Amino acid sequence: MQHVLGGAKDVPTMLVDGVLRSGQSINFEGNVVVLGDVNPGAQVTAGGNVIVMGVLRGTVHAGAAGNEQAVIVAFRLRPTQLRIANYIARSPDGEDFNPNQPEIARVRDGTVVIEAFPPGGERQGKK
Amino acid sequence: MSEVIVVTSGKGGVGKTTVTANIGCGLAMLGHKVVLVDADTGLRNLDVVLGMENRIVFDLTDVIEEKCRLRQALIKDRRFEELFMLPTAQTKDKSAVTAKDMQNICAQLREHFDYVIIDCPAGIEQGFQSAVAGAEKAIVVTVPEVAAVRDADRVVGLLEAKAEIHDPKLIINRLRVQMVQRGDMMTLEDMHDILGLELLGVIPDDERVVVATNRGEPVVTDEDSISGRAFRHIVRRMLGEPVPLMNFDHREGFLSRLRKIMGLG
Repeated sequence: MQHVLGGAKDVPTMLVDGVLRSGQSINFEGNVVVLGDVNPGAQVTAGGNVIVMGVLRGTVHAGAAGNEQAVIVAFRLRPTQLRIANYIARSPDGEDFNPNQPEIARVRDGTVVIEAFPPGGERQGKK
Repeated sequence: MSEVIVVTSGKGGVGKTTVTANIGCGLAMLGHKVVLVDADTGLRNLDVVLGMENRIVFDLTDVIEEKCRLRQALIKDRRFEELFMLPTAQTKDKSAVTAKDMQNICAQLREHFDYVIIDCPAGIEQGFQSAVAGAEKAIVVTVPEVAAVRDADRVVGLLEAKAEIHDPKLIINRLRVQMVQRGDMMTLEDMHDILGLELLGVIPDDERVVVATNRGEPVVTDEDSISGRAFRHIVRRMLGEPVPLMNFDHREGFLSRLRKIMGLG
């Protein structure tokens, strides 16, 4: 399989055991793996990559210290907002996209791009 | 001349946020420059009701901590040019915003806006006291229930004592006309007897409010709905126009009128 991590491979990783609910937040200088959902109103800020083993509905900031190589992976990527380094992407207004596969978000040519995970495919799901 | 108005109630769940969003949109629809301030730190909702949740980058607490400038935290509405919102933080609690902070922020906002409308948290503790600190006028929201009216009365007293806000205006939300007619619900007179406030308007209980709120599109923009019309009337009254209270008796539908004519109602 093709490599997906551009950086922050050898930094410490924090495991979050369970669901992050509205108002809860994680702030960590390394990678963050959430073993559950990230609900709307919850926030994860990580210096490295963020992996959500559940539905990502809240806001995630990866590469918060400026690492543009950082990625965000989720089983289901339906975020309020995604931030990677200094780039911000928000969900489109009035459009509920329901992906049916894991996805990865990363910065490409100055924009946050979402693709299927493992990479290689287009976004797939129900509008 | 700008006005700083806090929307409060004491009791939770009576519709403060809905009222704030609708009044704000209503004023902006008429061309006034409006900023809505969410003072419910830790339980913010105004962003969701306005459909702005996905645009929040900085908030009130970032401004207070000087992580950004005030104008960077303001979010512009996508429907109305003149409508802005200042969100608060969801991941902090009420202690993040003091009364002094709110006074500062409101003083800055009023320089740039015709109306600064503050969505107050439920309760009468620190969150309430900060929220009302920067305001000079108040709108008290209640529903026709004894408990809500009792809490509204308490809040009117606190507004005078803590913030020197006198003669707040009253909005009665979720009135069910049929229940009042049957004698099963408090009437406007009952509420006036206890609170003695000037009535700014009555919002009938309307499913469209729920639909609109969930969609992030305030019902005041819905031309056909009775609740939207009630909100538009409230806005005109705020601007000093003498709009008579709506007569809700005519709102029954064709079917129920038919039933009445046929003697089945």
